Amino acid sequence: MIIGLEEYLALGALLFSLGFYIALSKKNAVGVLMGVELMLNAVNLTLIAFSRFSTSDITLSTQVFVIFIIAVAAAEVAVGLALILVVYRNRQTINVDRTTLLKG
Amino acid sequence: MSSFGFHLAFWLLAAMTVGGASMIIVSRNLIHAVIYLVISMLGVAGLYLTLSADFIAVVQVLIYVGAISVLMLFAIMLTPRAERNNTETSLKLPAAAVMVLILTATVFVALDTDWGAVRQAALADQARLIGQSLIREYVLPFEIGAVLLTAALVGAIALARHDDEDAAIHAQSLQAEADGTAEDVALLTDPPLVEVEADAGAGEDGGS
Repeated sequence: MIIGLEEYLALGALLFSLGFYIALSKKNAVGVLMGVELMLNAVNLTLIAFSRFSTSDITLSTQVFVIFIIAVAAAEVAVGLALILVVYRNRQTINVDRTTLLKG
Repeated sequence: MSSFGFHLAFWLLAAMTVGGASMIIVSRNLIHAVIYLVISMLGVAGLYLTLSADFIAVVQVLIYVGAISVLMLFAIMLTPRAERNNTETSLKLPAAAVMVLILTATVFVALDTDWGAVRQAALADQARLIGQSLIREYVLPFEIGAVLLTAALVGAIALARHDDEDAAIHAQSLQAEADGTAEDVALLTDPPLVEVEADAGAGEDGGS
């Protein structure tokens, strides 16, 4: 069995769905962020796999694109964790089930 | 590329990545979950290496394993009175159903499609080429990314700082400077120290 594009794509899909489950189901806000990070990683892995196995030469532009995704993900985590700290300071919890200020 | 070493590396790294991600779901302690996230990210970095993307692998280790995980640990440590458990909400079952749907659909498409893929030659001298293209054809996105990172940094600091306490301490220090007495300075430093000790004690109780 030769390891080709399909194996990497299946692995990326598995990682993405695990991250999706974590982001939707975790009670702790930091856990939700972890799920989002896993999903971003899965997308990056899929992009790099496509660039490696494509029919045209897109390796360089894909790698630059992935670097931009990583930079935006880092900014997102910094702001997300600051938001978690603010929620904690106001409500003494980071449980996403208990932040129900907007619940009707 | 079908050598035994490559197969071994791919399957070990895949097991590491998926195992780490699954252990985030299973583990009940949030700090352990961050450690499993680090393991999963390291596995992804290794997979980048098997795809001959060396520079991306190094960036992955530096940013995800080095910076983001430490940032998450900081966020956990700075919320000492919050619960440390990592259990699921009531959305658990619908989330699992949607997860299985996404997984089956994407894996089916990935395996069923004829991608017509050929393995490209690995890019030689990647770091230099990426750096050059970042300041040539991608210079505008590069600058926008720099502005975005600065804005995110300023926004995170503005959100996370204690406005009231800082203002009070600032006013006190101005008052102390105006009076010029040593007593006021001593009074100024005492309350924050007591508060820090109380926080540390609460953190230890919550952790154990």
